[in-house]
Amino acid sequence: MRLQLPRFRQLRTRLAVLYAGLFGLAALFVSLALFAIVERNATRQVQSELVATGTVFDRLWQQRTAQLGGAAGLLARDFGFRAAVATGDEGTIVSALDNLRRRMKVPVAFVVGMDGKVTGIADPKMREEAAQLWQAFDAGETSGVVRLGGAARHVIAAPILAPNLVGWIVFATDLDGREMQGLQQLSAIPIQAAVYQRQPDGRWIDASGGDLVAQLDSTVADGRPTRMVTHEGPAVALAKPLPAMAGAPRSALLLRYPLEFALAGYRQLQFGIALVALIGVLVTIVATWRMARSITRPITALDAAAQRLAAGDEVRVAVEGRDELGRLAESFNRMAEGIADREQRIRHLAFNDLLTGLPNRALFLEHLEHELRARERNGGTVAVLCVDLDDFKTVNDTLGHPVGDAMLRAIGERLCNAARHGFVARLGGDEFAVIIRPGEDDPVERLAQKLLEAVEPVLRIEGNELTPHASIGIAIAPHDGADARTLLKHADLALHRTKELGRRSFCFFEEALNERAQERRRLESDLRAALRRGEFELYFQPLFDLARNRIGSFEALLRWNHPTRGQISPLEFIPVAEETGLIVDIGAWAIREACVHAVRWPGHVRVAVNVSPVQFRKPGLSEVVLQALATTGLEPARLELEITESIFLEGSDATLGLLHSLRSLGVRIALDDFGTGYSSLSYLQSFPFDKIKIDRSFIQNLLTRPGATAIVRAITDLAQALGMETTAEGVEESEQLAELRHHGCSSVQGYLFSRPIDSIAVDALLAEEDPEWRRQRLAG
Amino acid sequence: MRVPFLFAVVLLTPGLATPVAPGGVTINVRGADGKPVRDAVVTVHLAGRATPPPQAPGVDYVVSQKDIQFHPFVLVVPTGSQVAFPNLDPVRHQVYSFSAAKRFELKLYAKEQNRSVQFDKPGVVALGCNIHDQMTAFIDVVDTPWAAKTDAQGNVVLNGVPAGTVTVAIWHPYLRAPGNSLSKTVALGAGGVRDSFTVALRSPPRMGGDY
Repeated sequence: MRLQLPRFRQLRTRLAVLYAGLFGLAALFVSLALFAIVERNATRQVQSELVATGTVFDRLWQQRTAQLGGAAGLLARDFGFRAAVATGDEGTIVSALDNLRRRMKVPVAFVVGMDGKVTGIADPKMREEAAQLWQAFDAGETSGVVRLGGAARHVIAAPILAPNLVGWIVFATDLDGREMQGLQQLSAIPIQAAVYQRQPDGRWIDASGGDLVAQLDSTVADGRPTRMVTHEGPAVALAKPLPAMAGAPRSALLLRYPLEFALAGYRQLQFGIALVALIGVLVTIVATWRMARSITRPITALDAAAQRLAAGDEVRVAVEGRDELGRLAESFNRMAEGIADREQRIRHLAFNDLLTGLPNRALFLEHLEHELRARERNGGTVAVLCVDLDDFKTVNDTLGHPVGDAMLRAIGERLCNAARHGFVARLGGDEFAVIIRPGEDDPVERLAQKLLEAVEPVLRIEGNELTPHASIGIAIAPHDGADARTLLKHADLALHRTKELGRRSFCFFEEALNERAQERRRLESDLRAALRRGEFELYFQPLFDLARNRIGSFEALLRWNHPTRGQISPLEFIPVAEETGLIVDIGAWAIREACVHAVRWPGHVRVAVNVSPVQFRKPGLSEVVLQALATTGLEPARLELEITESIFLEGSDATLGLLHSLRSLGVRIALDDFGTGYSSLSYLQSFPFDKIKIDRSFIQNLLTRPGATAIVRAITDLAQALGMETTAEGVEESEQLAELRHHGCSSVQGYLFSRPIDSIAVDALLAEEDPEWRRQRLAG
Repeated sequence: MRVPFLFAVVLLTPGLATPVAPGGVTINVRGADGKPVRDAVVTVHLAGRATPPPQAPGVDYVVSQKDIQFHPFVLVVPTGSQVAFPNLDPVRHQVYSFSAAKRFELKLYAKEQNRSVQFDKPGVVALGCNIHDQMTAFIDVVDTPWAAKTDAQGNVVLNGVPAGTVTVAIWHPYLRAPGNSLSKTVALGAGGVRDSFTVALRSPPRMGGDY
């Protein structure tokens, strides 16, 4: 199993535990080592003492043996004693032994005759035991430990020679506790000494016949002091084998010293060591804890600061000292400042418009949400005003982007000045937005008007004088929407409404606008299917050639026969088709369809098809025209493409190049709606149009406004001078016709002659006008 | 110097009908280690028959004391013999015996003094000197005409023994056996008999040795 330190949530705890643990471990090892040394020393001391005592015992044993042996020898040689033994004078022998027992202070003294007869022992059992010793004496043994009288005894024998061997005089001394006490007192330490004898079953019993039982075989075999376990606990013991007489059980002197006694003197030392180690651990814990705190306090501060930094707060930690931690704190502060700076910049970039410095759409929406939430709490209303410059695109296209940019910056400033309490943002392009909280005496209308007026003063940019105008759409929370996006969308719808209604004004959002938007989306999806389903149809409105007094051409007009809604006006679906790009396919279809019809008409009758600027932007227009002419076989000169000035607003050489290439096919190019918008004479110079169509607005005013006649006159004169034909649109009255004829207009178009009609009606009209053609058709 | 003393009996006891075996009884005594044992006394008694008394007691039996030793170490004498104990040493000796066969004590006597003791009972008499413990000698008082001690080669030849079953006994002061004696019965033919004893000896008691 791997040892793993528990995980701590605090560095300080970890350090304290680690150091205290290490110190404790070291202290433990030192203590254990000291304990072991102490114990070993104590053991050694006891061992050497035991060895010394053992040696003393050896000497004592020898001395005693020699002393008693000497005494026995002396008696054995005493002539009278020998005579008594040799002659079997038992009374004399017993008295002599008694005398000797008293003199030598030995408990047992007796004589063993050569015939094994024992004299001097009254107890029959003991006498029997003594008789057993004859063998050993006969074998020449004179000293040893035997079992005699139920106890281990040391016997010393001396042969009685008279002069031949007639027997042995034997002394036996006790080896019991009383005898051993003398030995114990000789030792420097209170050694326990006892003689053990081995039983046949391997047990060793105490010499005095006591009940002590011990396993001593290995200790006796060892011969050195060893540790053994006694009933008093562990002890150091030395067993000295004692010479045993033949036939007697093995005996040993066991010198023993309980380890507990040996170590008693060292207990205080051991306790002291343990106490010192414990105090050391406690001191280490306290010291480490304090030290770790001084280290970790700055780290903890940094940790907390880093967490606050991560949460997005601005933070700064106190710098303490000049060490690594101090430098780290400094670095951290620099880093935090850097992060704050960068965040500021990123935030600015993310939420502000680079050109004007105004908040961008994202910030606008965020602020709007904020305002809406505040409104929810405080009540009242929040108004969003979408401000869009009218015809800004023209400025950009004609005067260049730098001028346009400068204009946007100026408008931004003007809006900010006008809406002092509002929040002004640039949503993109020429679209601005303002958030305000209208008050009782500060209605939205007043601000809208103020903004419109603020925009309008003349701007002078790089020598150009510009007169900007703006349109405004207004949506007000909570009525017009509860969330920012809805509110903005509705303001935008209102803005579009303003544009539709003629610009330079403002509109409030109405639910109808939303419905219109939905209607428009429906229209868009229907429109996508319409071409596939063949729901489109071309109607034709004749253009009457005033010079020849006949129909010169037809303008093809798109009609959409919606399956459920009936006919839908081009005014309604063409803008949608243009916005979605569907106009490209629809326009191509119109060109082909127009050619299909026109090729059946009389040779002098042309067909005119309107081409959207969108078609000009997308590639493939000339291919569509070429293919339509090729498949129908229509003379190119009989196809007239009507374009509006707006294609020039895209203002590129590519447009002119496309016009020239179409013209080079032989196709005629007419300029439609001339006189409206940014009509510029420079267009007439840049391209040799075949025809100019004078906008209906001039024709309508022709009889009522004096200037109108002059304009029409000027246009026709200009066209004639440039070799272009002219067509007047929207002619409804014969007076108008007369006036136009008077001014030299080439052709006229309008209800005066015919409203747009379907192809069958065209055939009828042409047949009516030209019976010859009719005949040809009928014949063909 | 101890000379093996042999008294070969040539005379036949009167009235003894059995012819003497010419080959005699030849006995060899060896220790357990195979070495010859000298000073072992070999006696022959007739089995099932009365053994004739030994020859008339001799006169020249001597156990002298010289160089604090008895000489000879073992002396074989017939019952009733007189043994002289001359002291040839410059010191005094006190010769004694506690043996059952003959208990006597010759009080201290000096050089050139001679004492005699008559040994009238058969048996071994251990001699000691009460002054010098190391002095030991043995007199084997025998009641048979056929007795002798082994020579240095452990041999004894006893002639003049009548053929038939005889008991041969050996005795040695240190023989490890009851009474320091062993015996066996052998059949003695006309050509004599040759036999041997292998004995275990205990070491001589060392006087004044260490204990």
